Order: sequence, then C-alpha cells, then structure tokens
Amino acid sequence: MARRPDEEYDYLFKVVLIGDSGVGKSNLLSRFTRNEFCLESKSTIGVEFATRTLQVEGRTVKAQIWDTAGQERYRAITSAYYRGALGALLVYDVTKPTTFENVSRWLKELRDHADSNIVIMLIGNKTDLKHLRAVATEDAQSYAEKEGLSFIETSALEALNVEKAFQTILSEVYRIISKKSISSDQTTANANIKEGQTIDVAATSESNAKKPCCSSS
Amino acid sequence: MDEEYDVIVLGTGLKECILSGLLSVDGLKVLHMDRNDYYGGESSSLNLTQLWKRFRGSDTPEENLGASREYNVDMIPKFIMANGLLVQTLIHTDVTKYLNFKAVDGSFVYKKGKIYKVPATDVEALKSPLMGLFEKRRARKFFIYVQDYDEKDPKSHEGLDLSKVTAREIISKYGLEDDTIDFIGHALALHNDDDYLDQPAIDFVKRIKLYAESLARFQGGSPYIYPLYGLGELPQAFARLSAVYGGTYMLNKPECKVEFDGSGKAIGVTSAGETAKCKKVVCDPSYLSEKVKKVGKVTRAVCIMSHPIPDTNDAHSVQIILPQKQLGRKSDMYLFCCSYAHNVAPKGKYIAFVSAEAETDNPEEELKPGIELLGPTDEIFYHSYDTYVPTNIQEEDNCFISATYDATTHFESTVVDVLDMYTKITGKTLDLSVDLSAASAAAEN
Repeated sequence: MARRPDEEYDYLFKVVLIGDSGVGKSNLLSRFTRNEFCLESKSTIGVEFATRTLQVEGRTVKAQIWDTAGQERYRAITSAYYRGALGALLVYDVTKPTTFENVSRWLKELRDHADSNIVIMLIGNKTDLKHLRAVATEDAQSYAEKEGLSFIETSALEALNVEKAFQTILSEVYRIISKKSISSDQTTANANIKEGQTIDVAATSESNAKKPCCSSS
Repeated sequence: MDEEYDVIVLGTGLKECILSGLLSVDGLKVLHMDRNDYYGGESSSLNLTQLWKRFRGSDTPEENLGASREYNVDMIPKFIMANGLLVQTLIHTDVTKYLNFKAVDGSFVYKKGKIYKVPATDVEALKSPLMGLFEKRRARKFFIYVQDYDEKDPKSHEGLDLSKVTAREIISKYGLEDDTIDFIGHALALHNDDDYLDQPAIDFVKRIKLYAESLARFQGGSPYIYPLYGLGELPQAFARLSAVYGGTYMLNKPECKVEFDGSGKAIGVTSAGETAKCKKVVCDPSYLSEKVKKVGKVTRAVCIMSHPIPDTNDAHSVQIILPQKQLGRKSDMYLFCCSYAHNVAPKGKYIAFVSAEAETDNPEEELKPGIELLGPTDEIFYHSYDTYVPTNIQEEDNCFISATYDATTHFESTVVDVLDMYTKITGKTLDLSVDLSAASAAAEN
C-alpha cells in the first residue's frame, strides 16, 4: 500500500470525543473519518485517533479526532487526553437517560482539565432508534443553551448530521483561533509551546540508523 | 469488575504503566487499578492545589502564584537521557506520539563552592575552567578511548579487559587527576557515589558513552530531554497504549487487596466488595507492603521560584550535580530545575528540586548546600520517603513488585527494573531495537 505524504494543511485541530461508554463515540468517529459504521457494540479497543482534512471557511483544516480507547468505562480518562484539545464532542445516547444525566460530570471533567477556551458541542446520538427515544430534544437543547454549548442530534448509523456536527465544531474552533491569532503575535502552531522548540524523539539520527528505510509495497 | 484477567496491575506509577502497556501489546488481558483518582501514583505531577493539599494540609494556595492548573510539579523529578533506555522504550512502543519533548538547556557540576557548566561542545570543553590545559589533553585521550570502545570489537579494547580491570585502574592508566575523576565519574558517568571506582570499568565506560551519545542525539545544551507538562504525562501515555490494546483502567479504587490461595499464590484482587481474578499481580511496593523491605530513604525539597537558578545563563531547565566529595557526603546531591518553558508552571515561574539519598533525619539542614544555590524561593516544601525492594519469590506467589524510585537524576535504573520485571512476568526478553509500529506497518503491507 503506497503511503502518501501528509496532505498539506493550514491548521491542525485536536478534537476529543467524551461521554459514557456505549453512546456511539467510536462510530461517530469512523463515520466521519472513514464513512464506516460497525454494529458490534464492543468497548473501544485499538482506536487511537483518526484524521480527516476538510475546508473550513476557505482554509484547509486537518482535524485530529481522539477517541477514549475505552478508558471512560470506569471513569479513568487521563488528564493528558485533554491536553491541547481545541474542541470536545460530548456525546450521550438519546435512548439512555443516564448518559444524558452524566453529561454534567463530563462537563466538569472538561472544565477541570481542558483549556478554558475549548469549544464544546453536546451530541445526542442514535436518533435512528425513534421508538426507544427517552431524552427529549427540547430538554437537551435547553441544557446546552444554559451551559453555553452547541447542540445537535445525530445518527452515526444513518450518517445523519454527523458531517454537520464536525463541520460546525471545526468552524467554531477556527473562528476562535482566528480571533486569537489576530490579537497575539504568537503563531497558532506554537501556541502551546512558550519558548524554544520541541524535539522529535522518534526521529532517528544518521549515526543511530540501524535499519534501512522500508519501501512501499 | 468480577471478571478474569491474565494480569492485574496495581498503582499507576511509571513502572506499572510501562508494564501495563507492554503486557497489553503482547495480547495479555490486563486490569489496571489505582487507589487515587489520578494517574501517576508516586510518580505523578501535581497541580498547585494538589501540592498544597499534600504538603500544607489545605487546598488554598497563595493567589499570587498563578493558576493551579498551570502547575505540573513532579513528585519524582528526573530528566530523560536522550539516548537512554526510556527513549528506546518510548520509540519501541510508539508512545512518542502522545508526548512532546524539549531538550534540557544545560547540565552543571558543583566544585569548591561554585557551579560550572558541563561542556556540551568541543569549544566549551576547551574553554572550560574545570581542567587545566595539560589535564585536558590527558582527558581527551581517555575520551577518545571511550568513544572508540566497542564491546564486540577486541581491537578497540587496547589490551584491557574491562570486565576485570577496575575503573580506578583505567583512570590511573590515563594519568587523570582527582578533580577530573570526580567530574567524569559524577557529572558524566552519573555515578552517585564512589563505589564504582573499585568495580569493573565496563559500567563506567558504558555510562560515559551513554552521556556522549545522548548529548549528540538532539544537540541541545545537555544530554537530557524532558516532556512538556511534566513527567506525569509519561505514565498516562503508557496507560493509553495499554487501553488501546485492550487494557481496562479503574481509578479511585480504595484498598486494593490481593487475594491468595491456600498455597500462597495470588489469585485476584478485591476492591469495594468486588473481586477480579487473575494469574499474576504487578504492583508498586505500597500495595503489598508485607512483601518488601526498606533499603534506603530519599529526601527532597520542592521549590517554586520566580527566577532561573543563578549563574546558569538564565537556563529554563537545568541540572546541577553536587558530587559527594565536594559536600563531604556519602552520595551525590542533585538539583533539577524546569519552568514555564516546559509548561510545568505559569509564565515566569520555575520549579526546582533538591534531591539526595537521606543521611540524616533533618532535610532542611541536609539539603542546605543545594538550596543555597537556588537564590530566593517563593515557596519550599520538604518530603522524604523510604525506598523499598521486593523480598518475595515471584515463582511462589505470582506477585511482581517494583522497586521504589531512587534519587538518581535520570530514568536508566527505572527502565532496567521494568525490563527485568517484564522478563520475570512473561519469560521473554524485550528487544528495544524493534520499533513496534514499524513492525506492524510492515505486517499491514
């Protein structure tokens, strides 16, 4: 499989998915980045983060979307997970009221660990299960307004509103970043690094090269 | 929680998280628990509120120190050797993708009441007042020998069998002065006492090689690197690796009690009335305190400052080594300083640590030579902890207990302990030269 060089982009935005286990975070991610849906309801394993590049208000944005790797199941998400995230998708399941009730705890976790400027979007997933709906749209909408969150309902299975959800949060992140970069003389890419340069630990220096570069197959 | 696992890991310290990651990648079913509601255990990085709670018994730090969240104060401060075992482990597991690192600005050594930069380049070495001119020539010959030394190439040995010849003997062969020996042994080979002089020279030479290779690796001002946001990021990064490969994580689990069968073998762990079964238990000393013995004590001062350490060229991150002989102690004292440049404090703030193997019960007095080098401090906290090693026989009870973190200034001993435990747990030796992600990428093709 030929490996293409990284697509060029103007901005890289880290966005994290959070919410209770089983609400469909991974399927939202795979639907958005690979247009795939998996019916098995296993806890998330093996998913790292996924990326997709898209246009936001004329600029090329690479979205780097992080999934929890299952650590939310027993409330063991690392504080490092939130590090550098510009957006968060807070997902609940419209058929399970408990997942909506827990939104406030996830919100607190975000406020404790994430940057205070993070854009948060509340997502009610699984709207395809109409006969099982247990969380009214109006209730979630008014909660989101009260907390200052964006809100949308989705179905990862039917691909309903998934594209719109990501496009919306990325646009909001872009607007905030643009505003900030005008007022500050720091470039956006270096916003998290106050002085000096980070180093690439994985880079192999010539003297340490032991294996030849792997060729594409 | 009532389930069956291959391994249950207790405590989310760095050693336990590395092991959890490695074992999950191997396909073992791992449950990892911690009694705290945060990752890191003894090797966590605390924000200001946590720091105050722990050392001052209150949760209201001084307001002028800045936002609590901007602090990431390491409880086990160490720098990372740029070409050392921890970097190899990070690359091997591809955990580098979760982390960002910066070079540490400089390394200094204390001599006769003053600090001197450990040269990072030939030019610095030539100018350095640490040695006289003729001594520099003798030292250069020694360094060339060390640089050329290859364990597998007898020609490079120049007739010396380093597994028999002592460090003292090889130093004598090159005619080096006592001050030079002190400098090389403590500031380059990073020995923390003088026992190495009468040991086979191989370890001494390998350590100097590691220092030189680490210095060359990223060509910063020192051989060390350090992660943005502090060392607490490391256990979290390895924990994510474990989770990605199926490891289950539970925090805030009180009193994790290891259960044993009639013959004394670990069979599970009970917490909050639920028991998970397993074949093996891995933990830090605090979870099985009856199976460890005390071997020493580390004492440390943690300081918040509003300035760099004086005479370090305004370095944002720095190490200062105070060799034992300079202080009249049995082992070295270490200063470690990092700052807002590594995102461990708000803008303009620095965090400094003074660490040593405790030789008295009075940390304020004992650490004074290091603290006096710091200049004014905004806040200072003292803490000491005992260091333990396991006393159990792993084959008999299936418990694998890590040793407590020592006072050394870097992670080599930490990773050696991890690799040793990995071999005992799995029966396999880890080959760190294999890059797992490259291997799996090749498999996908």
